[in-house]
Amino acid sequence: MKIRVFASFMVLLACCFGLIVLADNHEEENNMLVFPEAYTPMKVNGGGKITGLVKFEGEVPEMKKLDINKDKVVCGKEPKFDESVVVGENKELKNTIVYLMDIVKGKDFDAESKKPEIDQEGCKFTPHVQIVPVGARLTMLNNAPITHNVHILLNDADMGQDINKSQNRMLKKLRIKGIAKAGGPVEVKCDIHSWMKAYIAYVPHPYFAVTNEKGEFTLENVPPGTYKLGFWHEVCGTNNKEPQTVTVAAGGEVKQDFTLKLPE
Amino acid sequence: MRTTFFVLFILMFSLFVVTLTSYTQEAPEVSERGKEVYEESCAHCHGIEGRGDGSAAENLLPRPRDFTGGVYKIRSTESGELPTDQDLFDIITNGMPGSSMPEWESALSADDRWELVAYIKTFYSGFQELKESETLPRLINLTGKVKYSQESVEIGKVLYTELGCIECHGNVGRGDGTSAPTLVDSWDYRTWPANLSQGWNYRGGSTTEDIFKRFIGGIAGSPMPAFEGDTFYHFGLTPEESKRAVELENKEEITPEDEAEYAKYSEKMENAIDAALDRAEGTELTPEAQKIYDDAMKVVYEKSWHLANYVKSLSPEKRPEYAIGNNVLRSQYKEGDLPTFDDAEWETLESSYYPLVGQVIVEPRQFNPTIDSVNVKSFYNDTEVAFLFTWDDRTNNTSVEETENFGQSFIDGLAIQFPVKVPKGPTDEKPYFLWGGRKPVYLWQWMASEPETIKELTAKGMSNAGLQEDQGNVQAESEYKEGQYRLWVKRALKTEDKKDLQIEPAVFVPIAFSAWDGANGDIDTKRAITSWYTFVLEPVPSSRRFIYPPLVALLSLGLLVGLRQFVQRKNT
Amino acid sequence: MKRVSLFTICFLIFIASWVFLKYVVGGLISVPIPNSVIAMYMALILIAILVHVSVEDTRFEEFIRPIHETLVDEKRSTRRVVLAVLIPILMLGYTYTNIAQKANPAGDPRVAHPVPPSEFILTHKDKEIGTMQEVENPYRHYEKDDPEEFKSHVENGRNVYYDNCFVCHGDHLDGKGHFAHGFQPLPANFQDPGIIPNFQESFFFWRISKGGPGLPNAGTPWNSAMPVWEEILTEEEIWDVILFLSHYTGYSYRSFGEGH
Repeated sequence: MKIRVFASFMVLLACCFGLIVLADNHEEENNMLVFPEAYTPMKVNGGGKITGLVKFEGEVPEMKKLDINKDKVVCGKEPKFDESVVVGENKELKNTIVYLMDIVKGKDFDAESKKPEIDQEGCKFTPHVQIVPVGARLTMLNNAPITHNVHILLNDADMGQDINKSQNRMLKKLRIKGIAKAGGPVEVKCDIHSWMKAYIAYVPHPYFAVTNEKGEFTLENVPPGTYKLGFWHEVCGTNNKEPQTVTVAAGGEVKQDFTLKLPE
Repeated sequence: MRTTFFVLFILMFSLFVVTLTSYTQEAPEVSERGKEVYEESCAHCHGIEGRGDGSAAENLLPRPRDFTGGVYKIRSTESGELPTDQDLFDIITNGMPGSSMPEWESALSADDRWELVAYIKTFYSGFQELKESETLPRLINLTGKVKYSQESVEIGKVLYTELGCIECHGNVGRGDGTSAPTLVDSWDYRTWPANLSQGWNYRGGSTTEDIFKRFIGGIAGSPMPAFEGDTFYHFGLTPEESKRAVELENKEEITPEDEAEYAKYSEKMENAIDAALDRAEGTELTPEAQKIYDDAMKVVYEKSWHLANYVKSLSPEKRPEYAIGNNVLRSQYKEGDLPTFDDAEWETLESSYYPLVGQVIVEPRQFNPTIDSVNVKSFYNDTEVAFLFTWDDRTNNTSVEETENFGQSFIDGLAIQFPVKVPKGPTDEKPYFLWGGRKPVYLWQWMASEPETIKELTAKGMSNAGLQEDQGNVQAESEYKEGQYRLWVKRALKTEDKKDLQIEPAVFVPIAFSAWDGANGDIDTKRAITSWYTFVLEPVPSSRRFIYPPLVALLSLGLLVGLRQFVQRKNT
Repeated sequence: MKRVSLFTICFLIFIASWVFLKYVVGGLISVPIPNSVIAMYMALILIAILVHVSVEDTRFEEFIRPIHETLVDEKRSTRRVVLAVLIPILMLGYTYTNIAQKANPAGDPRVAHPVPPSEFILTHKDKEIGTMQEVENPYRHYEKDDPEEFKSHVENGRNVYYDNCFVCHGDHLDGKGHFAHGFQPLPANFQDPGIIPNFQESFFFWRISKGGPGLPNAGTPWNSAMPVWEEILTEEEIWDVILFLSHYTGYSYRSFGEGH
């Protein structure tokens, strides 16, 4: 009798422990992208296409108005809002990354995506989510006579030391060194203008898309096959635990929509 | 012959190796001893696992370092690099002024400190990886130092504005830049830009080299960016080329020749930036690229030394002497009217320096005060006494406000405390230094919301203070400018009010201060304080000092002459 | 060889005595001797010299001769003029510095440890614990009985110390906390061998729980900035921090029955 009580107690304990471990892992994985272990670029002929729409479900949070407390002449021309959840008229969700998690062979980056840029016009990072190929140099644009600092929080994603470079008012362009390791998305901020915040994903292959105002995304020239389709959103999280499976036929088009909601 | 040569060679070589190794020492292998010392002396703040979460951490700002991310503020290495062992050893040895990290030189032996370095490195795997890769972190190049001179300071001053230092550190460096109130560190805790006029609080030391290293390498984990080469305008051009390029940029009509000339400069800049980025990414540079990089950096280093010299010029060499012992505040006698708020006559006096510390005695407590000190000057005449109080505060808070990230901010203030009755001699008890106790204190309270008003209070303890019925005996005028408050106060030496302090010349009067920085959450008992100090209306130097000494001299001469006369007369 | 005159010898003895009193006895061996005491000794020495030279007439004459010569002898006119200038100037300087000297505040009386009244009743808030002579640290016995339990009390004391005390008393318990410079007298240095071994644990309990405001009226002013910790800490926390102090420094508190 006693042994049984003891045994069930131990089982209970083990379950609790297991739950804690799971919960821990859950948190760790939740906000990061998933990459293949290796990726080989090749020429893709007759690839397919994945398109879709990302929608938001639930009550749309109000976009908080940002407190523009300095350089008001340039930065405060028009009111600015927190861009962490941007939802359109028909509940389309902007700034969501949709990507292939497990592709190991496919097209190479095109010339344009190898020169990523983030503009700081009006003291706001545009785009809010930027995809940067591994090793590519990011260019920070600054057309106003305003001093910024480009502070990329790599350390939070275990990608080495943070980058924090000053971009004074005379520097129209500042180039940021390439990062050899895939990871992120990591936050980029400007300490001088505390409201400025955006995300950078350092990625090893080009099958990444960020949804536009209409919530649309397109992944083109995908070699035929079955893939895991993942998404990432700054607030709504990821589907890393239950990725969507899609099968792409040669020259075909697959439609896959997503519906995201706020985490509980 | 050959043997001698060989022996000489070996000797030279070992000498070379010895010099190299003694130049920057490296930590020993990790040992039990390091763990033991860490757990006994460091873990209460930095945590057993080095996460910066020891039991004391909660009360401290800046927070104790989290060692698990390998983020170190004070380095002699370039941006993005880990610190050297020597860097870690130096921080343990010297502590971090202005924070709660003490110096350990007096408490731990050098061996123990080295053991600690080795142990602390185990919290972050990057140190091990670096060791395995058999590379060393890149040191900041300190050669080519520009000597301190007024000329260099002037150049540095221009750069200070151009590079945007003022955004956080403010116009004259008191840490009052417009971005100062919103800064957070990499762990989202509030952080303040350094007040550059207080070199004694620079976390990593205040030599020109220290300043240069913080500037070039940045302060990791804080908002302070690295000023790497390509963050300078026209990186890659010589000063002359840069001047010419600016001319071309501002020219209205551009000829094809101009265009060609500018293209040449553009290419030069592109090449320099490419070389700098290649280097930062870890690519080995070709000799040509290395040359381009070195040439470009020469200009950058020179500018950086000028900037370091300027920052150095903002602070006195040493923390001022505290106003204790014989260094008390001496109010100077002046005939006629006392100087007003703006009077240049205040410049003729030296300030007395009163260091402030957090009020940690009565809840709620302030463990992290942001006001370093109050500086005081004073004049008096036959009927009145005037004081000028100055203190640095990075923000001007005149009302209670809700902030974006840091809760409420309150109103700045200063209170000057005296006993109601001056103790008679050194054995007579003063009131309790924290707003009185058994014996009452008399207070002048000033708030930034009413900059021209001093309220008179009587208190018998922090929770037992009340406005006096008779107000308006004290005149006040104040100003907030560039991170500093100036408060001018004037009162009659004698008042009718029995609850007031009556001030007499040549009597040593206890004085103490409380200061509130509203942006730091200071209100009520949460504040910075001093214990009792002393001030005195310095008696007018007696005019006797011009009468008696000559009299005495004459008298002694007379005595000598008289003695000679007496002896001569006796002889004859 | 010319003999050194008696006057010169006396003069040299006089100066040497002063130097001896002021710097050798006063500086090297003990604390500086007050000027009034030195003046008294010098007066005695002067009288002794005068008595010595005036015992015999010849000796007195020998002593007085150089003075006499300096005053009237034609050959000594240079020396005379020099002295006539030098002496008044010295007197002038001396009186001026005496008159123009700034008044300085009296130093605070020497800091000694307060003596609690005898048969002192130890309390925490209003709860009576017992008399100072009898109360022991209720957790001290774990040191022998239950080392694990003892360790947990010491660790709790460590947390209490670093949550509350170290800002003044220092990370290393050496009285050099980062707020220490703000206070006069300076915070206690527990690494000083004269502190922990000289007092009982109950004395520490009293000083911690009642702080500066709780010091006895006799022997004031203390001007201690020590807070009244009973308002913030529990009884157990105070006893635990007392355990931690001796654990960290390696010193043992004075136990009962040891001579004072």
